[in-house]
Amino acid sequence: MTEAILTTERLRLRRPGPQDLEGYRRFVRSQRARYFYFAKNDEEAWRLFCIELAHWDLRGFGMFAITTHEDDNCLGLVGHWYPEGWIEREIGWLLWPEAEGKGYGFEAARACVDFAFDVLAWDTAVSYIEEGNTRSFALAEKLGAYWDEAATTRAADLRVYRHPHPSERPEEGSA
Amino acid sequence: MTAPVLTTERLTLGPLLPEHTDPVAAFYSSERTDFVGGRKTPEMAWRHFATEIGHWTLRGYGNFAVTETATGQLVGLVGPWFPYGWPEPEIGWMLLDGFEGRGFATEAAERARAWAYDTLGWTTAISLISPGNGPSAAVAQRLGAWLEKETEHERFGPMQIWRHPGPNALRAGDGQ
Repeated sequence: MTEAILTTERLRLRRPGPQDLEGYRRFVRSQRARYFYFAKNDEEAWRLFCIELAHWDLRGFGMFAITTHEDDNCLGLVGHWYPEGWIEREIGWLLWPEAEGKGYGFEAARACVDFAFDVLAWDTAVSYIEEGNTRSFALAEKLGAYWDEAATTRAADLRVYRHPHPSERPEEGSA
Repeated sequence: MTAPVLTTERLTLGPLLPEHTDPVAAFYSSERTDFVGGRKTPEMAWRHFATEIGHWTLRGYGNFAVTETATGQLVGLVGPWFPYGWPEPEIGWMLLDGFEGRGFATEAAERARAWAYDTLGWTTAISLISPGNGPSAAVAQRLGAWLEKETEHERFGPMQIWRHPGPNALRAGDGQ
């Protein structure tokens, strides 16, 4: 599982490595990370990236680096997240600014939802999304997920979006 | 990068594995963490342990899981350590509860230092030790290191920098 690679029409998702640190550092040190986590400094960004990398070693799955078929440049992270203390297994996505607006987030996250159910054999999956992050709400809904208001959340300002099993999700575009 | 397996008379130094998460978390919930950043919740301990593993991926080296060869028990984490923002590459050691006082830290750190010198090509190494951590300072002394200066770490506060004898000095026997 550690060498897992997912491919979609336009994207290749691979395990992240040291070459992806700089894009991650820029992201978590910028305003773009306001709904994720601001790193106080580069040291914290470095340590957070260590955790992203090591999640694979500890859990056997983790966040993929999003790349296109053209080159190996990382455009963001998408994938499966379940560190100690998380309530439910999560599908997460972080897109670097240069990759926005092309539908990459949807394409990558859709592949990860399918992977979660079909390969990792999860029986359910959620995405924790902060209040105000309307673009992520929209992406979750486009993926077929719905705001599960009854679910226990990790923090008061996080909505729990629940992903239905691929066989049960609504038709695309009907959300 | 996965850690190699190194051995000493009594110890095996190897990769950090998922099964080490619980003993490390137990250590970080105890009072023995006064000199290494303080107590951590299981969630924070997991993140710290993940950072140790990610360090290997980013640097190509890091702390080894040190087990007692005879029993297979995890004794502690020892090894070369150089996270972003560290003053210099260091040899660090931390023993789990119940494994102190038997020379394990010295034995493992000496092996890890030799690996850093011989394989990583380090020409010098420090160890950062909290003032007041007498047992750790004693390990540094047994390794031939000397107190070079005090520094202030942004997050950990005042720290002593102990300087290890370099590879040439060790070969010449000056460091013992």
